[in-house]
Amino acid sequence: MPARLVAIAKSHKQRHGSQHLAIFAAAAWPPSLVGMGETILEVSHLSVRQGGLLAVEDVSFALAPETDTALVGPNGAGKSSLVQAVLGLIPRQGGSVRLLGHALGPRGQLPPPVRDQIAYLPQLFAPRGRFPLTVAEFVALGGAPAAGRRQAVQRSLELCACQGLERRLLSELSAGQLKRVLLAFCVVRPRRLLVLDEAQAGLDAQAAEQFHNLLFDLRRSQGWTILQVSHDLDMVRRSCDRVLCLNRRLRCAGSPDHALSPGQLAQLYGHHYAPYRHQHEPAAQP
Amino acid sequence: MNPDASALLVLLGLPFMQRALLAGLLTGGLGGLLGSVAVLRQMAFFSDALGHASLLGLTLAVALGLNPTLVLLPFAVVFALVVNAVVRRSRLPVDALLNIIYSASLAIAVLALSRLPRQGPGLEALLFGDILGVTWLDLGLIAGLLLLAVVLLARHRRSQILLCLDEPLARSRGVDAERQQLLFVVLLALAVALAIKAVGVLLISAFIVMPACGARLVSRGFSGYVLLSSAIGAGGAVIGLLASGLFNLPSGPALVVVQLLGFVLALLASATDRPGAAASASSPDRVG
Repeated sequence: MPARLVAIAKSHKQRHGSQHLAIFAAAAWPPSLVGMGETILEVSHLSVRQGGLLAVEDVSFALAPETDTALVGPNGAGKSSLVQAVLGLIPRQGGSVRLLGHALGPRGQLPPPVRDQIAYLPQLFAPRGRFPLTVAEFVALGGAPAAGRRQAVQRSLELCACQGLERRLLSELSAGQLKRVLLAFCVVRPRRLLVLDEAQAGLDAQAAEQFHNLLFDLRRSQGWTILQVSHDLDMVRRSCDRVLCLNRRLRCAGSPDHALSPGQLAQLYGHHYAPYRHQHEPAAQP
Repeated sequence: MNPDASALLVLLGLPFMQRALLAGLLTGGLGGLLGSVAVLRQMAFFSDALGHASLLGLTLAVALGLNPTLVLLPFAVVFALVVNAVVRRSRLPVDALLNIIYSASLAIAVLALSRLPRQGPGLEALLFGDILGVTWLDLGLIAGLLLLAVVLLARHRRSQILLCLDEPLARSRGVDAERQQLLFVVLLALAVALAIKAVGVLLISAFIVMPACGARLVSRGFSGYVLLSSAIGAGGAVIGLLASGLFNLPSGPALVVVQLLGFVLALLASATDRPGAAASASSPDRVG
């Protein structure tokens, strides 16, 4: 690693601890060099076309293991297109994606064992009408092994504070319960990468806080690497290690303090942006 | 007319009635099975469009003097695949597009039939079905398709459920959405083509949609839902057929009316059985 980067990384380590050192290295190094260590996700010069328009243009970044990265930007900035292209849900216009060391195929193909280690929480997930699927049935669809399926489902529900919901239909759940059940769907088998597209959309303040705390705990206990699209800049500032600012192109990347500074936000959102912070507000989540 | 047990026994002893009952049982079960997925995937209009378009296939068979079933099977599959491709690529709302397709198909078919010399089944039999005319070939085809549908849906159960729930979520789990869609559309097209004889062009959609809607109202689990939908479909067809024989009613409408009664019963049962609603309403994080 070049001496300049080592110095910057050591300074970063003093402020944020060893885990953040890895994140910083992944952020600072070009994607082609990140492969020297383990990389969960490596995106290189990715472009995505949606509805005839270039939604994402020439975006490169990489995620180091067990880091929490937020993708922020204004509406229509291409955040959802980016995460969907990264997962192979929509086609790429150009560029490449490597997930857990495996190249994503042109039609989003990944070896099943690799795909199994990746989970995705979509932006809009609301089963229509009276959908005849119980919570336990749904969680099992997340990939619970055939042997001991019932126990795996039960354990997942307990981990995600969903005890007692097993026999409820998905369509009977509140928005907050539904989000937690989606997390249980992810937890039911070991994963390494979790991609969330505005997972807190539609939640009131209390439910959003519960979801955020649960996600934070699960990330630590499960060793997840997280990439999450979010408009909740306060949550991003408190819990994420790194922020990617997107507005078609990657406008900036770095620590929350850097990427969410008033200057960067003004540049990203195109107007003066000055978040008000209470004096008693903790600087970061313990 | 007061039908009694002896009339029923006489009816059951007739070979064409035995074939019709077996056809009703199999076709009703097939309609309920595929309908359970079609309803969750919001493809009720698709089955309607397929049914109406089938009249075009029947017209073609009449014009060529061929066996209607053997013409209808490939016609329905090709038509379904073309419509599926158009729907996926169109920027118009799906229901509006399907409405255009089925109205146009029906109009063209009726115009074509009016120009053909009268032969084969009349227009009324095509529109409302004639289950009493099923042959052993029809029965064999229906049984084979039912078996195929059970095997394929059981094998692709996870993929189909995830697609019903949320396509991006399903794709993220490695589900090949296009392949699964094609698989289901072909099964549905074949089922519609085979069930046309029993319930006719106009009622085929109800035959697929109604049992599933009834089952959806009262089921508390996916397997139970699929089984109940199939049971309502099969049971409704058999009871409707017996009723049509005993009371001398047109068979297709009689089957659908009995299935309607099953749906109404489910509606009434669901109104008194809502265990999730109370618990959900008291939950602190209830939204909206």
